[in-house]
Amino acid sequence: MPSFALMSHHLFLLSPSDTPLYSLTHYSTKPTSTVASPLSSNLPNWSTSAFAGTLTALSGAGSSAHQTASGTVRMGGGQDRHVIQMIANASLDAIEDIMKTQNAMFLKSVDKFNEWTISAFITPGNMKFVLLHEGKNDDGIKSFFTDVWELYVKTMLNPFHTAHTPIKSLVFDARVRASAKKNL
Amino acid sequence: MSYQQPHSRISVLSTSSVSSGEHLSPAASSTRFSLPSIPTTPNALARPSSSAARPSIYDRPLTKPRPDVSAAAFTFLLSELVQYTQKRVSGINDLERRLNTLGYRIGSRVLELMAWRAEGASKTPKREIRFLPALMSVHTQVWRAVFGKPADGIEKSVENADEYMIIDNDPLIERYISVPKDMSQLSCSSFTAGIVEAVLDGLGFPARVTAHNTPTTQFPSRTTILIKLEKSVLEREEVLK
Repeated sequence: MPSFALMSHHLFLLSPSDTPLYSLTHYSTKPTSTVASPLSSNLPNWSTSAFAGTLTALSGAGSSAHQTASGTVRMGGGQDRHVIQMIANASLDAIEDIMKTQNAMFLKSVDKFNEWTISAFITPGNMKFVLLHEGKNDDGIKSFFTDVWELYVKTMLNPFHTAHTPIKSLVFDARVRASAKKNL
Repeated sequence: MSYQQPHSRISVLSTSSVSSGEHLSPAASSTRFSLPSIPTTPNALARPSSSAARPSIYDRPLTKPRPDVSAAAFTFLLSELVQYTQKRVSGINDLERRLNTLGYRIGSRVLELMAWRAEGASKTPKREIRFLPALMSVHTQVWRAVFGKPADGIEKSVENADEYMIIDNDPLIERYISVPKDMSQLSCSSFTAGIVEAVLDGLGFPARVTAHNTPTTQFPSRTTILIKLEKSVLEREEVLK
C-alpha cells in the first residue's frame, strides 16, 4: 500500500424508519496506514465474472484502481454502490443494538466488514448517520458528524421537510462536502 | 364556497412552483422543496435578483436569537390554527386528532433543536435512553423551550403502569380560548399532546398522548397530558434495569 492511499468514505443519512434521505461518497488522499486483507491477495482475478464487483468487494480487495476490460479505470473492490449500501444496511442491526444501551450520539466503529469500519451518529430524533470508512480517524469523523448534525437540524426546521423527505438541497450537499474535505 | 378557495389556492401554488422550478433550473427542479433560495412563489419570481442574495436556511445560526416570542403573536397564530382546523373536521375527536398532528410536526423539530442547543457544543453529546429522565426533560426542558416555563407536575397512574401524566395548571395554549359548552370535552392542548408525542417518539418511547381538562377551583384551565406508553417501552425498561 502506498503511503498516500486513496481513501473512500461513504455517508448515509437514514430516517427513523430507515429510509435513505441522503448519501455521499467522498475520496480523500490523507496518508494513512491501511492493512491489506490477506484474503484479497489469495483471490484470483474475477474480472470475467458477472459478479466481479460483488466478489472482490466481499473479499475486501483493497481500494486500488483496476483497469477494466473496457479500458476505463474504475475503483476496485469495495467501491461498488450496491455492496456499500448492503454493508451500511447490515450495520444497522449492530447500531440498533448498541443505541439501546449506550447514550452517546457518536458511536465509533460500531461494526466492521473486511476493510470497512462503520461509525454512526444517532440524533435525539432517531436519525441515523452511517459512515463507512477505511482508515482510523475518530476525531475527524466526530467533527464531521457534528457538522452534519447541525446542517441536518437546519434542514429539518424547514416546514417543507418531513422525516421522509430526501434531502436534495444543493447548499446542504455543498456544506457536507466541504466538511468532509476538511475532516476526513 | 369556503371549501373551494383553499383548493384553488393550493393548485395555483403547486403548478407555479413546478413551472418555476423547471423554468429556472431544469437540472435541479427537485430542489424546490428544501431550498429557500430557489423561488417557488410568483412573488419571488418577479424579483429574481433578490433571491440570489437571500441567505439560505443553512446560513442562519441555530442558537437562540431572542429570549421570547410575543405571546400575542403566538395566541393569534394558534387561534387561526384552531379555526382553520375546526372548519375542516366533523367532530371533536377529529379536531383533537388534527391538532395533535400539527403539534407533532412542532415536537419533532423542538426535540432536535433543543438537543442541539443543549449538546451541540459538547465533546460527547448524549441522548436520553431511559424513560423517566426523558419524561423529566419533557416536563422541564421541552416546556421551557415551548412555553417558557416548566410544567407544574408529573404523575404516575396508580391503576395502569403504562400511564403517566404531565400537568399544567395554566397552559399558555388555552389562556385565551374558551371552549363552547356543547364542545366541553374538547381540549385544545391536544396540540401540546402532539408535541409531547413527537418528542417521546423521537427518543424511542412510542406512546399515545392525549389532553384532558381537569379543572380545579383554583386553576380553571388546568390540563392533564396523558401519556399511554406502548408495551415495548415498558419491556425495554425492564431489560435495562
